[in-house]
Amino acid sequence: MLTDREVLSTLSMLRNEHLDVRTVTLGVSLFDCASDNFDTFADKVRAKIGTYAEKLVATCDEVGDKYGIPVVNKRISVSPMGVVCASFSPDQMVKACKVLDEAAKAAGVNFLGGFGALVEKGMTRGDRALIDSLPEALAVTDCVCSSINVASSRSGINMDAVALMGETIKTIADRTADRDGLGCAKLVVFANIPQDVPFMAGAYLGVGEPEVVINVGVSGPGVVKKAIDRAMERNPNRTLSDIAEVIKRTAFKVTRVGEIIGTEVAARLGLPFGVADLSLAPTPEIGDSVGEIFESMGLSSIGAPGSTAVLAMLNDAVKKGGAFASSHVGGLSGAFIPVSEDSSIAAAAASGALTMEKLEAMTSVCSVGLDMIAIPGDTSASTISGIIADEMAIGMINSKTTAVRIIPVPGKGVGDLVSFGGLLGEARIMKVPGGNAENFIRLGGRIPAPIHSLKN
Amino acid sequence: MYKVVVSFLGRDCPGIVHAVSSLMNELDCNIDEVSQTILHSEFAAIIIVDAPDSLPLETLHQKLEAGLAARKVDLNITTRLFDGASWGTGKTEPFVVSVDGPDRPGLIAGITGVFSRHKVNIENLKALMPGGARDGHALIVYEVALPEGVDPAVLRQELRVAAEAMNVRMSMQHRDIFEAVHRIQPV
Repeated sequence: MLTDREVLSTLSMLRNEHLDVRTVTLGVSLFDCASDNFDTFADKVRAKIGTYAEKLVATCDEVGDKYGIPVVNKRISVSPMGVVCASFSPDQMVKACKVLDEAAKAAGVNFLGGFGALVEKGMTRGDRALIDSLPEALAVTDCVCSSINVASSRSGINMDAVALMGETIKTIADRTADRDGLGCAKLVVFANIPQDVPFMAGAYLGVGEPEVVINVGVSGPGVVKKAIDRAMERNPNRTLSDIAEVIKRTAFKVTRVGEIIGTEVAARLGLPFGVADLSLAPTPEIGDSVGEIFESMGLSSIGAPGSTAVLAMLNDAVKKGGAFASSHVGGLSGAFIPVSEDSSIAAAAASGALTMEKLEAMTSVCSVGLDMIAIPGDTSASTISGIIADEMAIGMINSKTTAVRIIPVPGKGVGDLVSFGGLLGEARIMKVPGGNAENFIRLGGRIPAPIHSLKN
Repeated sequence: MYKVVVSFLGRDCPGIVHAVSSLMNELDCNIDEVSQTILHSEFAAIIIVDAPDSLPLETLHQKLEAGLAARKVDLNITTRLFDGASWGTGKTEPFVVSVDGPDRPGLIAGITGVFSRHKVNIENLKALMPGGARDGHALIVYEVALPEGVDPAVLRQELRVAAEAMNVRMSMQHRDIFEAVHRIQPV
């Protein structure tokens, strides 16, 4: 027999606090589709994704209905296409991206990730062709996302790749200028990219992963915020120790939901279950915001002094609660702070309470990095590369994932509003740090791996 | 020995269960299983006992009434033979149906009509007033057993239609989600 509290608490999380499973992501290895004949490659990719993804959306909906918890997004991640398509030219890479886009649409998913490359130590011809194809590929497709890993704690930072990505981001923005540089919202530059991320735009299926796998991304910033609010209402004298405990317990509940739904979807599809990614992923909806949690914990807004400490505690408590709730934890697992995708963070950035410098500091204690930040369209490629290099350095030295998803919006300046639509949200353009990094970026080469990479 | 099911209903107070159980002991009746609940100030219990063959059902009933009166416990008693027969033995799946909205006459009847049509058994039913009786908002929670042949999607749709007709919200969820979220399962 269930207790009143168990029923009321579950219903409240669902109806008022945006409890959902943010994504069930089907990982499909495409290594066996590799061919130097494009048509052979395309046929194999269509057939393989078509076969495994045929029932993905329907199954997620059925399982979501069964438990009364919506699976908001169904997605596909594939092997890094820089490897799968190593023999292709940039033009063929664009065509390959279209094949993936069509396969994603045929499966009914909203995004497919993995059109990316791992270049932290160097770049193959295939990797280079893929990066060169990005401006066109991301402009002519809708669902495909790209991630380029340019740094790792083991290998250091590939500064040639960092320089190239600064220029590529500028070109992508120009190529999608009619959509406020939307192409850049589908590209993430990473340090230490995990192989099993289910969240976009960074999702891909790494080389050590199974043939096919189901990974799940849980969310629930609204649930965490409301739990803190309720705890404070009941006893305003609570300390941060108490709040950390509230976050932990709430993360446990949210993760259990993802675990039960992910494992059942995998079982129904006859596929292995991979990992639950314990991330607090916001959406632009009010009440589904990571930024609002900062306010519930006593700050005027995210960005105020104390924000890095709040985020450190939040991120850690989410992991502690979630780790016990899931059989396998993976992906990014932490709190996301994507500016345009979170109405509260976007508002803090617009008011000046949250600056790029503070965001960078905060990324040293959370799971991703500078995410969904719109910057002036006239920002130079070397400045973008400098921003990327700083973020990669945080990831490399701290042995954690960091990333940059930044959009230089053509024709727009600081304070202008830019709207990407849907989950990508809207935000005002932020001021980038002053100074000039051009000569530094031009040096190229590699920043060596830190001394603590020598672990063997 | 034969099995008897006995129910008790009356005003709750300390000592009721002792009165009933000690009386059963005096009558050489062994209590097999008990379920009891309290709703506001009212107590209800249902007990399955092994009664001696020397104590026929009618006599047992009379002795229970007399015994409780002697203990100054005011409970209504029902007794009947227990044959263990069940409404069905097929496989079922446990679901929780929650209905909430403004309280109104017929709210429970409207929903249970759908269950009845589909031969869905209600295993536990609770009507709550989460905001207190004054705000008139009712939450009714049904723990039900869906027979294998019942399509959850069809049942959900019919429940939704019934709920909308009464201007209340309805959700139907597999019971496992409540346990997964709130309980650590034994290993």
